[in-house]
Amino acid sequence: MALRSAQGDGPTCSRWDGGSEKDFNAKRKKKVADIYQALNSEPTDVAALRRMAISEGGLLTDEIRQKVWPKLLNVNTNDPPLISGKDLRQMSKDYQQVLLDVRRSLRRFPPGMPEEQREGLQEELIDIILLILERNPQLHYYQGYHDIVVTFLLVVGEKLATSLVEKLSTHHLRDFMDPTMDNTRHILNYLMPIIDQVNPELHDFMQSAEVGTIFALSWLITWFGHVLSDFRHVVRLYDFFLACHPLMPIYFAAVIVLYREQEVLDCDCDMASVHHLLSQIPQDLPYETLISRAGDLFVQFPPSELAREAAAQQQAEKTAASTFKDFELASAQQRPDMVLRQRFRGLLRPEDRTKDVLTKPRTNRFVKLAVMGLTVALGAAALAVVKSALEWAPKFQLQLFP
Amino acid sequence: MAADMESSLETSLSASGTATGTLPPARSRIFKIIVIGDSNVGKTCLTFRFCAGRFPDRTEATIGVDFRERAVDIDGERIKIQLWDTAGQERFRKSMVQHYYRNAHAVVFVYDMTNMASFHSLPAWIEECRQHLLAGDTPRILVGNKCDLRSAVQVPTDVAQKFADTHSMPLFETSAKNPNDNDHVEAIFMTLAHKLKSHKPLMLSQPPSDGVVLKPGPKPAVPCWC
Repeated sequence: MALRSAQGDGPTCSRWDGGSEKDFNAKRKKKVADIYQALNSEPTDVAALRRMAISEGGLLTDEIRQKVWPKLLNVNTNDPPLISGKDLRQMSKDYQQVLLDVRRSLRRFPPGMPEEQREGLQEELIDIILLILERNPQLHYYQGYHDIVVTFLLVVGEKLATSLVEKLSTHHLRDFMDPTMDNTRHILNYLMPIIDQVNPELHDFMQSAEVGTIFALSWLITWFGHVLSDFRHVVRLYDFFLACHPLMPIYFAAVIVLYREQEVLDCDCDMASVHHLLSQIPQDLPYETLISRAGDLFVQFPPSELAREAAAQQQAEKTAASTFKDFELASAQQRPDMVLRQRFRGLLRPEDRTKDVLTKPRTNRFVKLAVMGLTVALGAAALAVVKSALEWAPKFQLQLFP
Repeated sequence: MAADMESSLETSLSASGTATGTLPPARSRIFKIIVIGDSNVGKTCLTFRFCAGRFPDRTEATIGVDFRERAVDIDGERIKIQLWDTAGQERFRKSMVQHYYRNAHAVVFVYDMTNMASFHSLPAWIEECRQHLLAGDTPRILVGNKCDLRSAVQVPTDVAQKFADTHSMPLFETSAKNPNDNDHVEAIFMTLAHKLKSHKPLMLSQPPSDGVVLKPGPKPAVPCWC
């Protein structure tokens, strides 16, 4: 089944913070044991699996992913495989576009894979996509969808990939598969408000450059599968996103931009320069740190808080994401110590306080910044995401499909 | 691969030095050119060819908008040519690409000479472009790509030429892939750059404000060199 190395994700995992190789192996062993314990408990401990998928190293190996991803998506692996009796390549209006995109997606396959095997997988990739589109006429193919499907194909194989991607397409990816990309654009509109909350200076610089958000489009709609060349990083992110709210990829996008603050500010303040810089993701990002940070940001600035600002960038539209209940826990993050708050305001950005008077009030942001500073316990934040992610799952289904 | 594809900015900036004598120290003028057309007609290869000087090993579907840049010397002036390479699938341009139309100084329409459907899509692209562009006289050119695949050509040159004439655009048939056509791809974009230079002599890095009325240039008669 495993199309990639069954040896796990090798070197990336060895970057676990601190400790010797011995510690690393012990940690890893324990995590594997924990994951299997959660898998084997009756009923399956999905909460624990979500926690494992988010926490450091994610799900570690493809062998584990084959077992856990279906649980995260609530897909029963014993169901009969999805098939179609029709000749979809003859009938599908999307066949030509899918064919073009899949044929050109060579980079998605492991280097060194024999050509014959790769071509076989490409055929399977086309079949999976056409089958899902046929079974769900409300879904519309987009360029980049194939980047998502290929990830599942390589990790879990054709049969299971079809079930998993179908579920994903009617949930996490639903907004991207509308007849138009208006809702996708709306989700992109969350990007700048998130950045604004954390780093107003960076936000203002990007607004002045009029860079827009298209640089993050392929990140969002492929879950970074299109832009990251190391497949281990891609699957690590998929672990994370599968365990989280569907808007998490936009938080992760924001975290990447924030991480590159200095590079952005060093750019010429024009659309081309900033777009060019940001659209090229450095391949050596500290993924584990950024994942924690994204979870942290989500808890502090949940979508509902940002919704108004996002809508202000574009008339608000109803999105699948907007039907999610925000994490209740988020509200708990909003009572930082008043004294500390004031101290942070005074300490952090005296220059901005002057600017304050001249431009718009920024008090709100400083509070948030102080919270950022205080919330060092990233693990705890990730845990919070897990708890609430569990809460949204059933509600989500109820609300979208009453 | 991504890094490879996108290294054109750096490559071009250093490579351009050979073409220029003394570079003016001040910031150069920028010509923004948007490249549009159906999926798989070769927009990415064409822009890559011009900016990096070679055919890319392999390209993937463009998602959203990619950006490539190259500095050139035109009549002693250093000019940055920015190529905005767009996604071919219709859904992207409907919601996503307007922003880039608005900033464009010129438009390159691309079709695949071996694919009649991509030629038939042109009126829709042209109409959409007309709706989005600020200035009515923005220079536009038509490029038929993949002329190296001679036996597979579906779009006859005379048909394409007639279409180009109808829309007052010069037509170029070329191949981004054929190594002997390097000069040709170069010539296409340089022609456009020259046209832009003479067309809008006062243009800085931004499109002219609405108040400026620009005189449309004479209809160019550009030979097809393929």
